[in-house]
Amino acid sequence: MGPQHPSTHGVLRLMLTMDGEVVLNAIPHVGYLHRSLEKIAENRTFVQYIPYTDRLDYVSAMFGNYAFVYPIEKLANIPVPERAEYIRVIMMELNRIASHLIWLGTFSLDLGAVTPFLYCFREREKVLDLFEMVCGQRMTFNYMRVGGVSKDLPDQFIPAAKKFVEYFKPRVDEYEDILTHNPIFLGRTKDIGLLDKEVAIEHSVSGPSLRGCGINWDLRKNEPYSIYDRFDFEIPLGKTSDVWDRYSVRVQEMRQSIRIVEQALQQIPQGETKTKIPAVFKPPAGEIYARIEAPRGEMGFYIITDGTTKPYRVKIRTGSFCNLTILPKLCKGWKIADLVAILASLDVVLPEVDR
Amino acid sequence: MTKEEIAQILNSRFSEKLKPAESVSHLSAFFVEKENLIEICKFTKQSDQLKMDFVNCIFATDRNDSLEMTYVLFSLEKNHKLCLKVKLPRKDSQIDSVTPIWEAANWFEKETAELFGIRFSGHPDPGPLLLPEDWNEGYPMLRDWTGKDFVKLPPK
Repeated sequence: MGPQHPSTHGVLRLMLTMDGEVVLNAIPHVGYLHRSLEKIAENRTFVQYIPYTDRLDYVSAMFGNYAFVYPIEKLANIPVPERAEYIRVIMMELNRIASHLIWLGTFSLDLGAVTPFLYCFREREKVLDLFEMVCGQRMTFNYMRVGGVSKDLPDQFIPAAKKFVEYFKPRVDEYEDILTHNPIFLGRTKDIGLLDKEVAIEHSVSGPSLRGCGINWDLRKNEPYSIYDRFDFEIPLGKTSDVWDRYSVRVQEMRQSIRIVEQALQQIPQGETKTKIPAVFKPPAGEIYARIEAPRGEMGFYIITDGTTKPYRVKIRTGSFCNLTILPKLCKGWKIADLVAILASLDVVLPEVDR
Repeated sequence: MTKEEIAQILNSRFSEKLKPAESVSHLSAFFVEKENLIEICKFTKQSDQLKMDFVNCIFATDRNDSLEMTYVLFSLEKNHKLCLKVKLPRKDSQIDSVTPIWEAANWFEKETAELFGIRFSGHPDPGPLLLPEDWNEGYPMLRDWTGKDFVKLPPK
């Protein structure tokens, strides 16, 4: 199932062993999108590397930005102003919604439902309009900096964001009406691609795929970073760890994300948006590993610095890298059409895997 | 469990085989010898107090005179992290694979093997992951690597 295929969600090659229509084994071959971002990091200063972190998972670029600046701030003990933290949380949760909308649209398109695809992309356009208002970019933002964010919010952002929150809340109910209890959808997704808890932990699966198994693990609650401990939100969990559960977890997460955005918009204070750091920024020599909850799992950066302006080594750990390794175990014995549904439910984007 | 408590448990069992790694912040980190790696990893996974069942990342760093493997491990149940480091020679280095202990290490080790030239003995499926199958231009992540398309940035 070659690298150019509309349902593999990127340049993924699957070597399938088939018995008629039934899949016996599926081995993923990756590396088509390898851009050696880790090697490039050795030759760029910290601020020069931030646009590269956008391109790690371009569908949720704010998380790439934040996952890179967060360890550096932790290592160098740089305080971040309150307003910048609120802006970061709003941006990240809006990006989580945009990312889950893409996932929902392409997931339903893979199963044959064309209508939700365009509805989700219509909603996503509104989120991208908000991002364009703030940083001029729709997809690869280059917005976060060490110590805060690069620009303050324009005046028209908060009213527009509040309008979006009110517009979006009933839309999630609309998508659930179309899909969640639809008999065709249930037939395609219920009890398909069951993932055991032990297998998931053995393969270090993280993110909604892990929560779909019923394991209550979300870094926003279990290892709070930024100001997530000030917001009131729930962590949706699945029960039977099939494709339907992973779908349901992500749709509920969209609801919780819009709750967080609403609370952040109410609480956001005035103030500075970036701590002043020297133009030639040299963090202290050391090593640190810090991780955040990206829409696809745990995204972590292990950064080794040696006291110069450039990092010595950057190791990028992304959720899709580990999530993709369970595919052979999940799709044994299912048909090709089920394989498409299972692969879509894992929500793997290949740029994250290949870096 | 805090950094200090993890360090205490490991030291009480393996004290002569561990050396603390001071440069790592916010994490309990130790240098181990490659001969003791499997034994220590098995203990961290099976011990009731540590229960490291989750792999955060496994990678190598080129430290100019040697290579350094880093294993960052995590326990979902106990919510604590551990970092183990192993020093290896730069050329023709070989180390035991931890894939039999944690299946997640599989792809991490494949990537490290093809980018740094470390051989993982006991790995169930050695072979390229990110690089093409017919790649014969060396190990790209080494700091002195130059391939035919490698362009050095001009000095400022």
